[in-house]
Amino acid sequence: MKLSDYEPIVGKGSIEELSLLASKLSGKVIQNINSTFTGGGVAEILSRMLPLLSELGVDARWSVIKGDLAFFEVTKKLHNALHGKDEKISAQDISVFQETSRKNIKELELYGDIMFIHDPQPVALIERKKELGKEWIWRCHIDVSSPNETAWDFIKPWVIQYDTAVFSAPAFSNPLPMRQFLISPSIDPLSDKNKELSQDIIDSVLSKYGIPSDKPLIVQVSRFDYLKDPVGVIQAFKQVRRSIDCRLVLAGGIATDDPESGKVLAEVQDKAEGDRDIHVLLIPPGSDIEINALQRAATVVVQKSLKEGFGLTVSEALWKAKPVVASAVGGIPLQVKNKFTGLLSHGIEGTAYAIKQLLGNPEYAKWLGQNGREHVKHNFLITRHVKDYMVLFLTLGHSEEIVYL
Amino acid sequence: MWCLILSSALALTVSPVPQHWKNWANKGLWTLLVISLALSAVNLVGKLVSLYGERLKASQRSIDISKNIANAAIYIVAILILLDIWGAPTTAIIFFIVLAAVVVLVAFRETLPNFLAGVQLNTRGQFKVGDYIKLGTGEEGYIKEMNLTDILIESPNESTILLPNRKLMQTTVTNYGHLMKKAKEPFRFFNRVHLTELTGLKAKNLKELADVLKTAPDSIMYYHTHHFLAEHHYLTPEPANDFAVWVSDVLGDETLGEKLANIDAFEFSTLSALRERIVNVIGEHISSGQELRKAPEGREFYFMKSASVVMSTPYAARDLREFVEALRRLSLGSLYFHIFESRLRLGKVTNDFSVWMKDSLEEQELAEAIEKVNPYTYTLEGVRSQLIKLIEKRIK
Repeated sequence: MKLSDYEPIVGKGSIEELSLLASKLSGKVIQNINSTFTGGGVAEILSRMLPLLSELGVDARWSVIKGDLAFFEVTKKLHNALHGKDEKISAQDISVFQETSRKNIKELELYGDIMFIHDPQPVALIERKKELGKEWIWRCHIDVSSPNETAWDFIKPWVIQYDTAVFSAPAFSNPLPMRQFLISPSIDPLSDKNKELSQDIIDSVLSKYGIPSDKPLIVQVSRFDYLKDPVGVIQAFKQVRRSIDCRLVLAGGIATDDPESGKVLAEVQDKAEGDRDIHVLLIPPGSDIEINALQRAATVVVQKSLKEGFGLTVSEALWKAKPVVASAVGGIPLQVKNKFTGLLSHGIEGTAYAIKQLLGNPEYAKWLGQNGREHVKHNFLITRHVKDYMVLFLTLGHSEEIVYL
Repeated sequence: MWCLILSSALALTVSPVPQHWKNWANKGLWTLLVISLALSAVNLVGKLVSLYGERLKASQRSIDISKNIANAAIYIVAILILLDIWGAPTTAIIFFIVLAAVVVLVAFRETLPNFLAGVQLNTRGQFKVGDYIKLGTGEEGYIKEMNLTDILIESPNESTILLPNRKLMQTTVTNYGHLMKKAKEPFRFFNRVHLTELTGLKAKNLKELADVLKTAPDSIMYYHTHHFLAEHHYLTPEPANDFAVWVSDVLGDETLGEKLANIDAFEFSTLSALRERIVNVIGEHISSGQELRKAPEGREFYFMKSASVVMSTPYAARDLREFVEALRRLSLGSLYFHIFESRLRLGKVTNDFSVWMKDSLEEQELAEAIEKVNPYTYTLEGVRSQLIKLIEKRIK
């Protein structure tokens, strides 16, 4: 994608603003470092953002650390533990992490004026700060609001050596000695998951999955995981259907590295069995256009998570101007301002009540949806993300809160 | 002289001189007549061009070029007539002239339409030097010079733009009229982009909220009473300040939420005064003995502040016309900076626009009228419309 492709969406002024910021970064090399070029959210966002930064004239490059299978098994455990999962980090795990980190510290070429380190895997590279100087940023993409203490204590000695830390939601920050910034993730309005679709494509997807368009459609798109509470969505739906005839679509995949995922799907299928108004769809990975079509076909989009990182599926639905009912967890309250850009709920009854409000008041639902789209346009698109990164780079080395350039 | 020529011609008709002498004499008299008429025509056309040019305030260069073109045409016609009188073959010359004209037309094919458009514009008299014009294609500024083929305008970013006359005929042009009173110093517009800074501080009930607020830096207070204005600028009505929203939505205390929402930042000229009021309202509520509700885990109040990067923009205004035109296309970040950030965060007590209007433009009344617009009750676009309305009224 080119920057000019975004101009009709965000306006000429926003693109000019990006160019102006980029011009102030002239001569600086930004070296992004993470653990992989492919797969995972960080690689996806970097592969979308770097071409845009490069088009703006910002010299942003990308390196990855090396590691064997054992190292990545440890970092997976560490990742889960930082998310709050009860993982045992053994002395052997610590030793594997330290050994691989040592190799990377020694072998990886570090040349940036700004070292932009993503997530915990390459966190130990900060050990070269004393030797190299430069500005070091730790970009934490994961939810560390209630981490497993052992895991947090393990990485903290490295984290606190950075000049700046960046988190995706306010709840993810902790009292730390350095400056911390909030940079929310973003969606790409031109990706397959979010681009405009013709009614024919939407209809063909509905027809492929055998979903008639005869009733209002309530949709939740999420992988089958207890934390996304698909069973709770079915219960809320059944309460709604007592007064308003409608259909429910639960669409998502199963996580291959999560043995619970299959169990959740089986439970959901069991709860939905025999109910012709409930459609449980197992969507294979890479079916972005189908997810897009299902969100666009929805009358109301639900995200009834019990715990959530940022919950970008909410922004995806809002971008499609859909009225959203979502739980007030993780980053969702940043996206849904209750009664302004959607409705927040706190349980099954609240979710059912909010869905009924929206189905019974289509004008109100439309108003919320339109506000939601505007909110995403100004705050959660990739262009805002690019802007935030540039502002972040520009504030480095300035302790004052207002920087004049 | 023409009387002398006429009487000589009559005398020649009745004189007994041989016919071929008469023919030569007649040709001589016609030659004199043509030369004198040509000279008179050159003189007359020169005066008319000067008069017309001055009326249009055209530049001296344009007037001189027009005179030269007219003179050349008169002389060519006169020479052709003389050649015809003396029986010289003119076909080749006419062919040559036509050829030359074609060459000139080809060479000046870009200039000619501009020239014709210039004549048309001059005839209509829609613009004059000093007018502020705005083209449908985006260019705008004061007319510095009007020439036969182009118009020179000085745009608000202090650059000059040479517009071909043809362009003015092909697009919508709004003429805002006369020169305005110039400011002592131009107003330079700045743009502001910001990043949210996390503090790691949080509160799970009203007491903790008040405790942090008592000692929090002004930047935290500023962020939570202002960030929604920029973040939700498209919404009417906009959500209230963060404290009010959190107390109502998370703690479920609608009564206190209302009280906090009703605190109007516009009534305060300093952030510390605003802080004191908010802390007092929360303090009174706590001391009324109401049960302290606790926010659910993950919904605590997270204290944040704003880190701003302020950059200059290419826009500057030297008078109200330039100012209002810049205001129309200013980014919302820029508008926000000059209206909100400068007043409370930079401690200027009022907005930047009013300061400039008072100090540099001596527009006291307008400055005060702008000061009275409460920006907290409008969306950013609403603020923009209000200001434009006030300035346009003043210009008229």
